[in-house]
Amino acid sequence: MIVTVISVILILAGLIFFLGAAVGVIRFPDFYTRMHAAGKGDTLSSLLVLLGFAVYQLRDFESFSESWLILLVILKLIAISAFILITSPTSTHALMDAGWEDKVKPEIAKDRSNHLGEDCPKRK
Amino acid sequence: MITKVLATLAVVITGAILLYGTADFPAFGDPNSPASAGVEGGAPSISQYYITKSYDDTKVPNLVTSVLADYRGYDTMFETVVVFAAGMAIFAILRVFREDDDGVPNATHSNGNSFTDGDHSRIIVGTTVRIVVPVIQLFSLYVVAHGHHSPGGGFQGGVILGASFIILALATDLETALSRFSEKSYFALAAIGILIYAGFGVLCQVLGSDFLDYGVLQKIFLTDGPEMARSHSMLGVEVGVAFTVTGIMFAIYANLSSRGTLKSGL
Repeated sequence: MIVTVISVILILAGLIFFLGAAVGVIRFPDFYTRMHAAGKGDTLSSLLVLLGFAVYQLRDFESFSESWLILLVILKLIAISAFILITSPTSTHALMDAGWEDKVKPEIAKDRSNHLGEDCPKRK
Repeated sequence: MITKVLATLAVVITGAILLYGTADFPAFGDPNSPASAGVEGGAPSISQYYITKSYDDTKVPNLVTSVLADYRGYDTMFETVVVFAAGMAIFAILRVFREDDDGVPNATHSNGNSFTDGDHSRIIVGTTVRIVVPVIQLFSLYVVAHGHHSPGGGFQGGVILGASFIILALATDLETALSRFSEKSYFALAAIGILIYAGFGVLCQVLGSDFLDYGVLQKIFLTDGPEMARSHSMLGVEVGVAFTVTGIMFAIYANLSSRGTLKSGL
């Protein structure tokens, strides 16, 4: 019972971050901020949802000798989480870098001073 | 203008005929369709046969694999040949051998550690790739080897294995990936894959049975009956398929990304 509640809380938290990522992708003004919303929100929410799945697997756990197969499932879920934890931020970074090299201008508010606008490579 | 009208007409007519043809199909999942229920007083249902008998015949729990690699092995062999032919077509169309035709401006290629040379971005991506690529390759072998027990098999595992080399080429450059998996070796691998598959078929003929009738291979695998021989042979042909798909996946990427020069692609 308690295990189910914990897993539901984790999955719901993950879904909230998913929602945040989706809203961010639509609402943020330029390429970089949109990627930041997608990258961060996606990674954390996937991890939370997978962790929720892993916790949910524990509901039938009785003893190690009887239910070690459950631990195997949990191990696989954790392996997927680790994979996402490494690859998702890297892909976001690679996309950002590709955008920067492709001279995509960051959007900067008029009344704020920021060196990013000057640093960005100029389009020919 | 007139050609466009004619082409549109041809497309519309063909599409209409195809849509008209689908009307004669049984509904999706209809248990009374001839494929599922058989013909009354005639042929028994082939689906029922696969569902009820395939495990007894082949000792392979994954029904899809047993149909794909055993009952319809001939079909799958030529699917693999189609993949191979696609790679050959890419080679024939795109590959250029002239030295002066670079296609893309020369990227500076250092002889040092190409993973971490240069600016920060290559360090991050390169390190991640170094961590991730071995895991991907191990997982692809798992997918190939487990094809007859769980979802997976030669095509999927081969695609994953080929993709791992593509990731390597994306994160560093094409030369680095080609130094590990050269043009000679990927086309050789692709050809060997088909040879393995067809070799299993010919081996069955040599032992006095039909092409790709794996049951007779129990004389070689020394199994208790033809069932386990069929199971082992399925693994064998899956490995052949994986070889071909791996080679051709990377061949297509290497040729497309460098416009056939195999020099400093993306």
